[in-house]
Amino acid sequence: MTLTSVLIVAAALIGIGFYGALSQQSFVMLMMGLELMLNGAILAIIGFWSFSLGGMPEGQLLAIIVMAVMAVEMAVGFALVVAVYRKRQADMTESLTTLKH
Amino acid sequence: MIPAAFSLLIALPPLMWAAAVFDRVGTGRGATFIGPLRNGAALMLRPNTPTEAPDALNRLLAPGWYLALALVGLSVVPLTEGVVATDLSTGLVLWGACEALTVVVVFLHGWSPNSPLPLIGAYRYVAIGLPAMLLSMFVLIAAALPAQSLSVVEVVEAQRSLWNVIRQPLGLPLFMGLGLAITLRGPFDYADGAELAGGTSAEESGPALALWRIARLAMLVAFSAMSATAFLGGYLGPGLSGPVWLLLKTVAVMAATVAAGRWFARMPPARMLSFIWVVLLPLSFANLALVGIEVLP
Amino acid sequence: MTDALFLVLSALAIWSGWRVFRVDSMVRASFQLMVSFIAVGLIAVLLAAPYIGIATIFMMAVEMMVMALFMVMFMMNPAGLNPMVMVHQHRFSVAAGITAFAGLVLAVLLSDLRAQPLPVDAQVVRALGHELLGPSMLIFETAGVTLLAAMIGAVVLSAHSGRYGGSDQGSRPPGLHPGGEPAGRKPDKHGGHQHHGHHGGH
Repeated sequence: MTLTSVLIVAAALIGIGFYGALSQQSFVMLMMGLELMLNGAILAIIGFWSFSLGGMPEGQLLAIIVMAVMAVEMAVGFALVVAVYRKRQADMTESLTTLKH
Repeated sequence: MIPAAFSLLIALPPLMWAAAVFDRVGTGRGATFIGPLRNGAALMLRPNTPTEAPDALNRLLAPGWYLALALVGLSVVPLTEGVVATDLSTGLVLWGACEALTVVVVFLHGWSPNSPLPLIGAYRYVAIGLPAMLLSMFVLIAAALPAQSLSVVEVVEAQRSLWNVIRQPLGLPLFMGLGLAITLRGPFDYADGAELAGGTSAEESGPALALWRIARLAMLVAFSAMSATAFLGGYLGPGLSGPVWLLLKTVAVMAATVAAGRWFARMPPARMLSFIWVVLLPLSFANLALVGIEVLP
Repeated sequence: MTDALFLVLSALAIWSGWRVFRVDSMVRASFQLMVSFIAVGLIAVLLAAPYIGIATIFMMAVEMMVMALFMVMFMMNPAGLNPMVMVHQHRFSVAAGITAFAGLVLAVLLSDLRAQPLPVDAQVVRALGHELLGPSMLIFETAGVTLLAAMIGAVVLSAHSGRYGGSDQGSRPPGLHPGGEPAGRKPDKHGGHQHHGHHGGH
């Protein structure tokens, strides 16, 4: 369990999350991709804190901030999903075409 | 760690039987002591009800996960000085994680049979169970403040001078509300209610139902042990030895919880939701603020 | 022993993260994501950050539960009874994901990572508490206000008397033709009682 192995696992999670965020058509699945990327980010933060920072408390602080950001992103994201569904009955990204050229 | 785990595993079945006896006392069903054992044995021999296109893995495993969460929650309770199965510096947060995962497990139990009544039970329960769990975390933080630590062992040690139930009178009643919620009892029994023909257990019978009910009783024992530890001083007490005091306090909280489950009526889910968010959560904030003011100097 | 556990947990995290986008059932996808978070939380506990690890498990269990509820509310096929693959620009996304992973691994392998491990007897939770309420108090107050703003925004966006009309008005299903009437019986305007007087006449 070295820093390199932890960071490789985190990079894998970020890669899978990136694939999900780009490829999914439904809003909620897209948000799940974003959550996976933040998951990888938290793992990387804790890995760095444990191996390279010598236990500086700012490392754990950053992880808590990322979790709070995740909560905020999910709350506002779901509220937007609800609002978009009510206005246009759209639950897929394909249905939102108003910004298309 | 190993002796504590063994003693907990040995003490659990008699306590679960005692909880089942408390459930039967006063219901007029008779056979108070032998009844639960007879029911359990009869359930073991019955077949389970198959449903159409269920989520087979979750349907099979949900009662087992409920039991596992109850055991993990019970493992953070210290039996006596220095004897605890899980010596974690954040034992209270582990208990909170068990509560949160209980809500998930009850939802899975109701969603997996692919049937309307269990799904309705699961839905209603999630809407009520999540804020109830928030309530319990604020109350437990208030209990941890005098100890200046999140470890359950420290919380007990800080009660040597005065039990938390006297220092923070609001804490134990609010925590017992959560206990009713995670054991699906009384006013919080939205998941397995009788008006939904058994709710999340509506399509279940046989050994699976027996395991679900056993897990409910185990969760009641774990919750009672946790509240006895966080509010009633755990193994502290004059005269008798530590584990005996813990046992007596656990049984007392179990009886009080079952009685509270019978005493209060169940409100419609919307009204209960308003009640939790508008009355109970502000009360828990007030409790936390009062404890903070008392601990500050 | 810790290494074996770390290997198992990371394999579980990556496998369930991948399965999130492969399963047919939406509810199962959100619970696979929860399993991935639980695995990462347990790795954090192994890395001697017990509060972060268990708080991750706690918060993510609640968030994924809410996400599963949203799945059943808004998505077609929550139970996964039909096979479903709803993807667009699939090959591009796979390439982008692999490029991101490769780039990050390259950065990790080529950079000079400092080694200053955690002291064995560090009281991490106590240090975190002191840090939260001491030097970083301003950050946390700001985060609290941000959360409050997010909560108010979410409620405003999804309230019953919505900004774009009543919250019940959008819940009509899409029409049989674009912009047309939806299929199905239309509810009676007078509550159904107008039919009660017609029993005598044939």
